[in-house]
Amino acid sequence: MIFIDTLLLGISSGAIYSLMALALVLVWRSTRVVNFAQASQAVLSTYVGYEITMRTHNYWVSLPVAILFGAALGSSIDLLFMFYLAKKVRSGPIAEIAPVIATLGLLGLLQSIIGLIWGNSFLQYSTPLSGKGFTFGNHTVPFSPQNLLIVLATALVLIVFGVVFKFTNLGLALRAASFQPEIAQLAGIRVGRIRNIGWAFAGAAGAVAGAVITPTSVLSPNSLDLLLVSGFIAAVMGGLDSLVGAVIGGLVLGIGFAFILQYVGSSVTFLAGFFILVIVLLIRPRGLFGHQLGRHA
Amino acid sequence: MLKRRHSPLQRGGFLLVCGVVLLVASNFVDELRSYQGAQVAVYLVAISSIILLTGYSGQISLGHGAIMAIGSYAAALAFTLWNFSFEFAILFGMLVGTLAGFILGVAAARLSGPYLAGTTLALAVGLPSIADQFKVLGGEQGLNFDIGDPPGWIKKFEGSDFTQYKWFFWLMAIVALFVIWAITNLLQSSYGRNWRAARNNPVAASLAGINVVRGKVLAFTVSSALASLAGALFGILLGIVTPSAFPLALSFTILTGAVLAGVGNLAGSIAGAVVLVAIPEFSGALATHLGSSQKLTANLPGLVTSLLLIFVVLFKPEGLLQKNRAKSIKQLNS
Repeated sequence: MIFIDTLLLGISSGAIYSLMALALVLVWRSTRVVNFAQASQAVLSTYVGYEITMRTHNYWVSLPVAILFGAALGSSIDLLFMFYLAKKVRSGPIAEIAPVIATLGLLGLLQSIIGLIWGNSFLQYSTPLSGKGFTFGNHTVPFSPQNLLIVLATALVLIVFGVVFKFTNLGLALRAASFQPEIAQLAGIRVGRIRNIGWAFAGAAGAVAGAVITPTSVLSPNSLDLLLVSGFIAAVMGGLDSLVGAVIGGLVLGIGFAFILQYVGSSVTFLAGFFILVIVLLIRPRGLFGHQLGRHA
Repeated sequence: MLKRRHSPLQRGGFLLVCGVVLLVASNFVDELRSYQGAQVAVYLVAISSIILLTGYSGQISLGHGAIMAIGSYAAALAFTLWNFSFEFAILFGMLVGTLAGFILGVAAARLSGPYLAGTTLALAVGLPSIADQFKVLGGEQGLNFDIGDPPGWIKKFEGSDFTQYKWFFWLMAIVALFVIWAITNLLQSSYGRNWRAARNNPVAASLAGINVVRGKVLAFTVSSALASLAGALFGILLGIVTPSAFPLALSFTILTGAVLAGVGNLAGSIAGAVVLVAIPEFSGALATHLGSSQKLTANLPGLVTSLLLIFVVLFKPEGLLQKNRAKSIKQLNS
């Protein structure tokens, strides 16, 4: 029984890691930037959702608003900031770490703005769904309706992205623009605009992650930082280029963490994450699903 | 005075003069400034480790806080458990940190950009929690690393009012100046040249007979030695070594310092270190000026740091102090 309980917990947290990893992969594919600001974008969207529930007392209204806000935020960060950065910083020793630094700066900036508006104290973003686990007979599994929402939301996002990427012209343009930007441009794709859509998708995915995971804990300006780290580890494990890899990386990490938590102890989980990551990368330096002959960014 | 045209001896002389000026100046400042001076020295060592790694060898580490923690814990263990004198405790911390850096560096040499960033990030988040696993590391309470009063000969020489923080400042300023002298020479030796060559064009470098992988491992190892030295000094300055002294934010802070300095510019690291220490003080004063509400005092330092970071990346990518360097780099690259 404990085994199944642990597995369920792992799937639920793995689903969230997958969403975060997906957001990072979407931005990486289109811009070659690891977007550390993703945590603060997601948290800001969640704060917007929180504000809406406070006004309307309805979680189901706040959810789509938060997602739309997340998409708008992602797209405006690309327009106002990353576009300019990519033009400005091209060479010199800083070129390689400039995007990392810039997004870390954005992370800090958004978090302090959130702190200035809402304060740094813990808030409770409540949902109508129960946080108590389902009961079968006399056994209560640690899997609540809220966990079910988390898994369903992740699955829905994956299906939507999957359909968009596989079956629409937009998806084809997105894949082309990330695979070979110059050639895609020659073929008439507006790479800049497509890139922006990638950022919007990423912002929306992050907002979903924030809005469904936060009710299970508390909301504070840096409450999603650890989620970002897990998501990043999952994305790197899956090979930063691959959407499927991000999802599988997230699930592997979530289930792995749950079992380590259950059978080894709570404080070594992230260290175990480090060792899992190192082993995966030493065997496949570009991740599980990354292209071995990736282009030189 | 740290330019390429000067010989190691000339640079040594210049830094010696700097050192004497600093030590004399320490007599005219109060306790807080001495403490901040020591803090600047510690950041200086940490920032130079990042500059060496990122600016010269082209590797990214988001986990140097963890390597600082390794150095700090090893030194504190040697000091409290095995009763090493503090000098040897620092050296022992450096030794352990260097070893850890070598192992990490072997793994790091296989990884590029974001993959390396992700691995080191995981290390920075995961490592401090080890302290809870082993009793000998003292859990959340941490390890005592109080090296006590200044030694007797200094008191005899400088008078009995020679305070502890002034002693820390002397110790750390001297170490930091020595580190700068050593790294400037290293970076201008054939090692530094090979690192730059391998960073700018790995294929061309290996065709010219440079062992790129070995260079990367070596750079990571040397950088880790410096980071663990900074960690050991940081432990001494705090008097106690705890897991919470080495949060993820520390790794980001020293990276910030390196960017403010201009990642390819060792002389700028002094400016970077000073700014890192000055930001909390400056934003504290600003918060009081604006009417110190809880929200303001808690978030202003972060706001100032982030704005400064973004400003530097966008408008002064060669560091705060540099002028027209971008042009000369462009010429070099073309």
